[in-house]
Amino acid sequence: MSVLRQLLPAFFLAAALLALWQGYCAWADVSPLILPAPSDVARGLWVNRADLARHAGATLLVAGLGFSLSVAFAFASSVALWFLPALRRGVLPLMVASQTVPIVALAPLMVLWFGFGLLPKILLVILVTFFPMLVSLLSGYARLPQAYHDQLVSMGAGRGALFRRAALPVARPQFFAGLRISATYAIVATIFAEYAGARQGLGIWILTAKNNFRADLVLSAVVLSAFLTLSLLGLLHLIDRLTGRRFRGGDDAAA
Amino acid sequence: MLRLEDLTIRAADRLLVEPTSLTLVPGQVTCLIGPSGCGKSSVLKWLAGVLAPGLTAEGRAEVDGTPLVPPSPALAYQPQQDTLFPWLTVAENAALGLELTGLSRRAAQARVRPLFDRFGLAGCEDRFPRELSGGMRQRAAFLRTIVLDAPYLLLDEPFSALDAVTRLRLQDWLLARLAERPRGVLLVTHDLYEATQMADRILVMAAGPGRIVADIPLTTPRPARSEAALAGVRADLRSLLMEETP
Repeated sequence: MSVLRQLLPAFFLAAALLALWQGYCAWADVSPLILPAPSDVARGLWVNRADLARHAGATLLVAGLGFSLSVAFAFASSVALWFLPALRRGVLPLMVASQTVPIVALAPLMVLWFGFGLLPKILLVILVTFFPMLVSLLSGYARLPQAYHDQLVSMGAGRGALFRRAALPVARPQFFAGLRISATYAIVATIFAEYAGARQGLGIWILTAKNNFRADLVLSAVVLSAFLTLSLLGLLHLIDRLTGRRFRGGDDAAA
Repeated sequence: MLRLEDLTIRAADRLLVEPTSLTLVPGQVTCLIGPSGCGKSSVLKWLAGVLAPGLTAEGRAEVDGTPLVPPSPALAYQPQQDTLFPWLTVAENAALGLELTGLSRRAAQARVRPLFDRFGLAGCEDRFPRELSGGMRQRAAFLRTIVLDAPYLLLDEPFSALDAVTRLRLQDWLLARLAERPRGVLLVTHDLYEATQMADRILVMAAGPGRIVADIPLTTPRPARSEAALAGVRADLRSLLMEETP
């Protein structure tokens, strides 16, 4: 109930903006080739629902696979970097540098190197979503309060026990923050990868629709991609709620 | 007996504690009192094996003639904050140290849970620290320290975060627990009243650099430690601390 109440203002604002958009299109008599009205977009969604569902399914598969692998790699890397601080000093600058490469340049290269299959798209999703998660995890570990560290060490804890007993639980909020940021990138990165070359997916749908001057269908895919991203965020929120009873309302005396 | 010899602690740019020696006797509470910055907590932390980053130390410690390398199971350390982990239940927190010694979770819980009643925490086993009052949290922290069964306890201002009434109650309560199972205690405090109530012996530290300037035994038995009986010691302590504090 409280979630619904929280969402109400956003819902009303979105409804007002859509009404404004619809009204402007009717009042200014804008060509639907340039700016289709929300009703045109909705019609596009409904009429092409079967095709769009197929393409959205393909996008979701790539995004899901890429995102899951990225979470696993980011977690494994963060653990390695926690245990090997010297490695962290060497690797982190390279990772930061890797983030300066524009995805627009990378996507066609991936297709060129790895073809039109799943691999280049999954690799691109991993490249885009891995870094925010890794950084979130590392900054989460770094938040381990000195008092917790001292308490555990004085009781004989080694680096492994420090990690498992304190650093990992302390990093949980940052981990979920990183997941949320990466989840928003996952769908966008997949669409970019599909845009560069694919047989199925919202990216190739958008490209085809754009080439046919069907702005309504481009926007239909945009709506669908937003829906997919929000669904992914909702799923993460649910996982957080279901697994986080111990971490809610935490009174962190030592922080 | 725990013997600490010639402990010197340095920060990057200055000598924090000049060569300092002290002994802890089993069954006795030794209070280390002094102004802020005199290095009393650093002495305690060195013994606990958790000297603050940026500080270096040289010195020797031994327990009954055996060299001690901190952190050691012969010493149980309790920092100023209760450091109960908010994501663990009170029973899980209390059993944490035992699990780190290699005891299974089940065995550690079996050791800890029967003690909750005596620590005034009956019914709190499966609650989270955020659901407890300050005094209860501190008792839970004491349970985690005491259940380790180390012969020496290092307590770093354990009552400082509590209100006055809770602090007095908890001081009496801790003395009762120590009477049940005597241990050598090194208690760091800056509270004259606390020191004179709790200690069998008071070591006064001065700052700049930190050093022990007085070793005052308290021979008055605890039940007879009235305000009048302690007035003289407190006056001495007060003037010592005022003299030594720049």
